[in-house]
Amino acid sequence: MTEKDSRRIFYFMSLNLTFMMIQAFYGYVTDSLGLLSDSVHMFFDCVALAVGLFAAVASKWPPSERFPYGFGKIETLSGFGNGVFLILISVEIMTEACERIWEGRETKRLGELFVVSTLGLLVNLVGMMAFGHHHHGHGHDHGHSHGGHDHSHGCNGHGHGHDEKHDHSHGGHSHGHSHDNENMHGIYLHVLADTLGSAAVIVSTILTHFWKWSGWDPLASFLIAVLILLSSLPLVKSSARRLLLTIPPEIEYNLRNTLSGITGLRGVVGYAAPKFWIDDRNAGEATPANKLLGVMHVVAARGADMEDVRDRVRNYLLGHNIDVTLQVEREGDTSCWCGVGRSPLSASHRVTHSTSIF
Amino acid sequence: MATDDGLASGDSDAQAPKNPFNFQTQFISTGPVKSHQIFQEPPPRPPPVLPASLPIPTFKEAWASMQRDQRARLCWCCCHAAVAMYVFFSAEGSLAMTALSHLVFFDVGSAAVCVAVDVLGNFEVWRRSSIRHPFGLQRAEVLAGFAMSVFLVFGGSISSRTTSSTFSRPSASTPRTTRPPRTSPTITAAAAATPTPARYVSPGTVDFASLAAVVSTLVSAYGLRNHSRIRRVMRVPFPYLASLLPGAGILANPFHFLTLCFSFLLLLLPLVSLAHFVWLDAVICAAIAASMFILGTRLAVAQGLMLLMSYSGLPTTTTISSSSTNPSSKSKPFPSSSSSSFSAATTTTTAATTTTTTVSSVVRELESEPHVARVEEAQFWQVHYGLAMANLKVRLARGTGSGGSDDGTLSQVRARLARVVQNRLGEGYGRGGNLRWEVTVQTCSDG
Repeated sequence: MTEKDSRRIFYFMSLNLTFMMIQAFYGYVTDSLGLLSDSVHMFFDCVALAVGLFAAVASKWPPSERFPYGFGKIETLSGFGNGVFLILISVEIMTEACERIWEGRETKRLGELFVVSTLGLLVNLVGMMAFGHHHHGHGHDHGHSHGGHDHSHGCNGHGHGHDEKHDHSHGGHSHGHSHDNENMHGIYLHVLADTLGSAAVIVSTILTHFWKWSGWDPLASFLIAVLILLSSLPLVKSSARRLLLTIPPEIEYNLRNTLSGITGLRGVVGYAAPKFWIDDRNAGEATPANKLLGVMHVVAARGADMEDVRDRVRNYLLGHNIDVTLQVEREGDTSCWCGVGRSPLSASHRVTHSTSIF
Repeated sequence: MATDDGLASGDSDAQAPKNPFNFQTQFISTGPVKSHQIFQEPPPRPPPVLPASLPIPTFKEAWASMQRDQRARLCWCCCHAAVAMYVFFSAEGSLAMTALSHLVFFDVGSAAVCVAVDVLGNFEVWRRSSIRHPFGLQRAEVLAGFAMSVFLVFGGSISSRTTSSTFSRPSASTPRTTRPPRTSPTITAAAAATPTPARYVSPGTVDFASLAAVVSTLVSAYGLRNHSRIRRVMRVPFPYLASLLPGAGILANPFHFLTLCFSFLLLLLPLVSLAHFVWLDAVICAAIAASMFILGTRLAVAQGLMLLMSYSGLPTTTTISSSSTNPSSKSKPFPSSSSSSFSAATTTTTAATTTTTTVSSVVRELESEPHVARVEEAQFWQVHYGLAMANLKVRLARGTGSGGSDDGTLSQVRARLARVVQNRLGEGYGRGGNLRWEVTVQTCSDG
């Protein structure tokens, strides 16, 4: 699926590049400032696309020593960057438009303007077809795979335990969210912004042609800028949340249940420093969605076998779709940074539990 | 599961006599039912170690929590922003001033990020981990830095676009009201800057806008010591700059350096009556744009790597005395000759280890520990500026930690591994930022 994504980006980028070169060439030959500056704009579009392409390709790279959790976040990062860029651009356009309405600068050379923006609109419409269709397809896809996911869990259980199914029925809604591709969304918004910009220029040119008011163009720009701003805010928010390693609420609910069950396991006295984050290594379709990775320190009761406790807790958590690196400490050992033996809270429930087990 | 439950409930039966409330003496119920099973408590569950989520402060709470110096910083931020607006609006017609105003805006933005980080640090949600935010909100600092770097790239691209459209028209001095056509509204910067006649500052006078930029940058850097804070946020290794002029604190922050340089230049030009050469204006603008672009890209990569959950090793030279390998980090200025000779000396003595301390070298060192047979999995990654995690899966040597008597050994091994990681990869204590490593060791023994 992602390979299809990157191929799409690549095709559109080469189209953009060709158009840019043609524009630059004609601009140079005819000494047209409009064509030249528009080709510069095209160049920056191409840069944004190249970043997106890189992100799409890099997200497939395997984890390495330097990137222990793979490159799953790179698409989110690219989406975040694109969103911030769009917000900045729209703010800039808005101030510019206000300034121009204030000053009432006149627009001339309408013919050239019209031709260039129509060409740009055509190119961007192609891009919209590619990404917009894809974007929709993505959404649909998700609806399907979401349904299919439940199905597969209901039918053969995918080899997970039974309480697993229970968890999924709770957290079912989060599938679509957590797997949404922010990179493609960002590129789509970028192309959309360009298309709207071209359309705005065309409309305002026509309007200026009929009614001689210099405010059409800044007004159109302003409206478009507001639209872009509003549409890129959710993208920035969702990608920022993912980059902050926030656990979505549905998963958090299950996670709390799971965690409170740990102290009920035999030989476990308490736990400390539980930290979990969502695994977005694209290891393949076989891995279930919303897998969590994490770190935890567990205190084993006096006399309990540490290896036994480790395996027990790990299997329990694996059953709940959490892969964890587990440090097992002996009760009374306060040397670790997690401070499990020191805080009064954990100390108190440590005591009650040790009496309850023996 | 079932066995555990049974165990726990049997257990609370045993606890029942200790119950301070003695229900046996009450004879309210006249029926024959004497069972106390209905009063039995559920198996005791300890309170969760972590809160599910901590409240994120609203704007009002944040305002109320601000201390005096934080408020002063905020006030200065506003003043700085006003200066930036002034520069921006007085830049009408001059490309270089427009680009400079972008730089000043960036300074304002990074100062604002510093203030916000400072204020949010008053709240628990910032530091403490909860289930929803396992690392607190401190990663937001990195994210904000990334956004600021995007702003820098954005400013660079806007300025370069403007410059290129000026260069493409050699006769820019003649006032034309042509608005360049474009397919997107983003090009309006070019449209706004080029057509109007160039901004005119009469030779021999002081340009107030650039003077304001210089003064505000200096106040921000030295008056409020923002430069070190911002450098902490915008932590980018710039070895060339630091080695060029060591000791000068402000140079360690390349952004303040840039702002100061260019605003001084713009301040000086009218004084030597070079005010209104369009090409010079465009050249300066191009220089600002290029440096913004380069710096922004470097910054974005540096912060992006952290957001990608990676760790690239300690980039400084690893010497015995890690405190003074980077001369610029010292606030105390000392002569460049001595510092360069010193760094030359350190590089010669430890020529073998001048490269970065990579993760694999640390892992090798961990494997050479006496009780460790093999490090099976090692995941090193940096969470935010102050915290990094090392998650290790270690196979112990035969005979270690298999029995219950070896708890002490096991604990010692863990402590040793943690110490090695902290010593090798934690940035020394003398430096500004202290990277703390949270090491988790999952052990299993051979055979």
